[in-house]
Amino acid sequence: MVNRMILANVLHRPIRTAVSVLAVAIEVGMVMLVVGLCHGLVNESAKRVEGVGADILVQPPQSSFLFGLSQAPMPMKVGERLEEIPHVLAVTPVLFVVNSVANLSVIYGVDMTSFDRVSGGFVYHAGGPFQAPYDILVDDVYAKANRVKVGQTLNLLSHEFRVAGIVEHGKGARLFIPLATAEDLQGVQDRASIFFVKCTDPAYGDDAAQAIHKLLPKHSVLPIKDYLSLMTSNNLPGLNYFISAMIAIAVAIGFLVIFLSMYTTITERTREIGILKSLGASKRYIIANILREATLLAAVGILAGYGGSLIARRAILAAFPTLSVELTWDWRFYAASLALIGSLLGAFYPALRAAQLDPVDALAYE
Amino acid sequence: MEPIISTKGLKKIFRIGKVDVPALRGVDLRVQEGEFVAVVGPSGCGKSTLLHVLGGLTSPTEGHVLVDGNDFRGMSDADRTRFRRHKIGFVFQRYNLLPTLTARHNISIATHIQGNGFNPHRFQAVTSMLGITEKLEHRPYALSGGEQQRVAIARAVICEPKILLADEPTGNLDTENSQIVLDMMRELNRTFRQTILMITHNLEAAAVADRIIRMRDGRIISD
Ligand SMILES: Nc1ncnc2c1ncn2[C@@H]1O[C@H](COP(=O)(O)OP(=O)(O)OP(=O)(O)O)[C@@H](O)[C@H]1O
Ligand SMILES: [Mg+2]
Repeated sequence: MVNRMILANVLHRPIRTAVSVLAVAIEVGMVMLVVGLCHGLVNESAKRVEGVGADILVQPPQSSFLFGLSQAPMPMKVGERLEEIPHVLAVTPVLFVVNSVANLSVIYGVDMTSFDRVSGGFVYHAGGPFQAPYDILVDDVYAKANRVKVGQTLNLLSHEFRVAGIVEHGKGARLFIPLATAEDLQGVQDRASIFFVKCTDPAYGDDAAQAIHKLLPKHSVLPIKDYLSLMTSNNLPGLNYFISAMIAIAVAIGFLVIFLSMYTTITERTREIGILKSLGASKRYIIANILREATLLAAVGILAGYGGSLIARRAILAAFPTLSVELTWDWRFYAASLALIGSLLGAFYPALRAAQLDPVDALAYE
Repeated sequence: MEPIISTKGLKKIFRIGKVDVPALRGVDLRVQEGEFVAVVGPSGCGKSTLLHVLGGLTSPTEGHVLVDGNDFRGMSDADRTRFRRHKIGFVFQRYNLLPTLTARHNISIATHIQGNGFNPHRFQAVTSMLGITEKLEHRPYALSGGEQQRVAIARAVICEPKILLADEPTGNLDTENSQIVLDMMRELNRTFRQTILMITHNLEAAAVADRIIRMRDGRIISD
């Protein structure tokens, strides 16, 4: 009965309904996509670091687990001392060159021989290893996204690089240049931003990490599993603020549109509310009706938001293959809850006003 | 017998800014259960206000009001709402149907608000007496004024209210439709012993009632 009345009301003003639904859908889609993009970005780059194959990461004192934001690089000699530690099989230095801070994109300056020993070697889709200082390796994802072919030149860091090979993705970065070239670009000598340490057996990881820590007490020594657990978007302060701000904006959009929509609705329906009151409808009855209507709008909006974010995700991945968007069930639930709570709050004041209308005045309303 | 409506010294004063506008200046009224009473009087004499007070839509400023054993003194808004829900049926000059609902649902929403469940026998009896069984699936815009008013009457009496309060129910209708509506009010009063208080401007309309009350300037001048 009441549901029928609510449905009739919602259908009576299709544009108002469509705009309200759209606002909630944008809210839900925005929350899911922003969170999905950030998670995707972080998880994906963490996975690539894991893909290098090291058991322990050694970085300069006070450095962040966010690569590229690190302190002054360490002397190469540190690496030699690491190799002497028991259970250490191989150590490779990498010098980071930041390509773009915005998407955590870091170019690895690598020493081929030791990098191959830690990582098990690149798998080449085309071309082969570096042959000249300004040679570059790109991974297949980057190559596909930017239509890169072996032999062409890439303009990066205000230099021209020749693409020497296209490698299977998943080994740290998407772009690799020779270590010496990276040193030239950074203006340093015999320095590394990080040492990737591989043990003879992953089981020795903790022992080796302790030994390294004893040797280099001030350095950051992270077993890979600790690194992976740190590398979540919750741990990234800037990203966290960014996500919170985007969520706040999204919720505000939903809240305000539902508020305005319900507010104009009760003004338009003043007489009808008066009629319900003359029939003996209580304040609760009237508030409940309006909140139910808002819930219906929110529910349809949430479903539309789910659909929209799936479509948007597909579009984003088609346009930017290097990105990844993770739409988790958790965040589906949070986004829906936020949208629902925001809508109910938005509808609450209009509902309260409707409930408090004087029945005689409401019936006389033109 | 105890009257179903009894008022003594009933006053209603509206305050507009700093000016007091007395709409009712001391109304003494007794209505017995089952009576059909017509209230007539010039415009602005307080007829509607009296109806609103008796139906609990607004509170009296002064005086005693006792309706079906409910003393209006000390009644809160919520109490008056509950009273209205269970004891009163309203019919207005402007029909006041919900435009998005069919005639059927306009009638049954009253039972939903009252919360005592839908009684199909009562529904059948009321709608067939009012001659609207064929029109139940129509929305208000697809009904004539007379039909809309009959739906409104059905809605007002579906929950078997103690009192039917009608404010110029024929005010918007032509003679023919007015006569139909008045006949139905008469019929309701006879078959269900429905107590009715009906405001009208029209003396012919008032003639269908058992009793005519004349008002002027917020008082009853003849009974
Ligand atoms: N909400 C209000 N605020 C202020 N004054 C009001 C209000 N309602 C009614 N009045 C005044 O109270 C007096 C009685 O009004 P009421 O509507 O009861 O008259 P009425 O007899 O029903 O008139 P009509 O036949 O035109 O419907 C009028 O002077 C009117 O201006
Ligand atoms: Mg009036």
